[in-house]
Amino acid sequence: MFLLTLVTPQKKLVTDLDIEEVFVPAYAGELNILPGHAPLMTTLQPGALRYRAKDSDRLRYVAISWGYCEVHPQGINILAETAEFPEEIDKERVARARKRAEELLVDGNLNLDEIEKFQRKYARTLVRAEVSEQSE
Amino acid sequence: MPSLKDIRIQIQSTKNTQQITRAMKMVSAAKLKRAQDNIVNVRPYAHRILNVIADIAATRRVEHPLLSASQNPQKILLVVLTSDRGLCGGFNNNISRFAEGFYKNNKNQFEKLDFLFVGKKARDYFRARNLGVEPIGVILNLAKDVSYGMAAKVADQLMKYFLEGHYDEIRLVYNEFKSAMSQEVIVEKLLPVDLTKTSTEHKDGELGFAKDMIFEPKPELIIEELLEKHFSGQVYRAMSESVAAEHAARMTAMENATKNAEEMIRSLTLTSNKLRQASITTELIEICSGAEALKG
Repeated sequence: MFLLTLVTPQKKLVTDLDIEEVFVPAYAGELNILPGHAPLMTTLQPGALRYRAKDSDRLRYVAISWGYCEVHPQGINILAETAEFPEEIDKERVARARKRAEELLVDGNLNLDEIEKFQRKYARTLVRAEVSEQSE
Repeated sequence: MPSLKDIRIQIQSTKNTQQITRAMKMVSAAKLKRAQDNIVNVRPYAHRILNVIADIAATRRVEHPLLSASQNPQKILLVVLTSDRGLCGGFNNNISRFAEGFYKNNKNQFEKLDFLFVGKKARDYFRARNLGVEPIGVILNLAKDVSYGMAAKVADQLMKYFLEGHYDEIRLVYNEFKSAMSQEVIVEKLLPVDLTKTSTEHKDGELGFAKDMIFEPKPELIIEELLEKHFSGQVYRAMSESVAAEHAARMTAMENATKNAEEMIRSLTLTSNKLRQASITTELIEICSGAEALKG
């Protein structure tokens, strides 16, 4: 038994699902967590989280922004600020947001804070775009 | 004595009002359901983060400005959560009265006591009373869209005030959603974060985490990020509670209004029937006595 729970302030995406493995976009790069992993606490970067439920050969993708992840012997708790399944992502909106961020970063007159803000925004749109390709 | 026609008009207008209150009750009930789901979703998140922070703080004795409580807070910011619209019973009044009381009792005690109003009603209340309170900000349109993003923005701003030393304590006053029938005004200390009650005790009686826990990055950095998120989560939770409580209060108020209208219609109908009978009786007497007179 290795249970995954994934919650955001606005919804619960996964609760106590028995899983085979999880890939998380952790602070220091992607981590593959299997049952029996050592206790771990890490923050997460914006990125694609993937998990495979027990007795399934399909990886489910979830786009997450900031979050943190706690691994204990019984399972994994992930709290993310936002998390979306591929089918929930509005591709057109992502493309628009990305274009806008791109334009502003290229020739907008931005101060340092704004540059950072839009770089983060841009990174998030990349993640979303990547994850949205995974819906079937 | 009102005429029969007057009373009929009154009955009709009461019926119209009743229809409106009934519809409003229905709308609030639907909105309440959604707001309630919202709270149920945010509670585990907020709870979990606070526990983790407490655990890290307990194991590692981390110091952080957001955690260090000042012994004798002098600069207080009160964030008051009300609604934008009325017709919800005592919901707004309870809060505003509480905030007013707090202000009157404490304004001399603290060096600085400021307000931030969320919702139109608290602002209007203080303005109407001329207490000389100038809020440092007003946030409107909460019930329409209480989103995490918006709460995070507010939280960011509050945290900035705190870290820059404008205030050394920030408190939140809002209606907690207890049940559909009751709300309770509560005051919550938002900053500095109070961890005394939350640290989880594990089976072996040890506080915090297992000793071999791997932290990535360092606990000091994790806790910083967590505190930030915890704080946004708290603000979001309080806002959700307040919105749910508002809908609940409105639902109850409208239900009572509908009942009162029912009662009013009943008594008016009674009067109108009495009047009708009286007029029939008078008419009969007139006819009879007329016939009697002709006979003679």
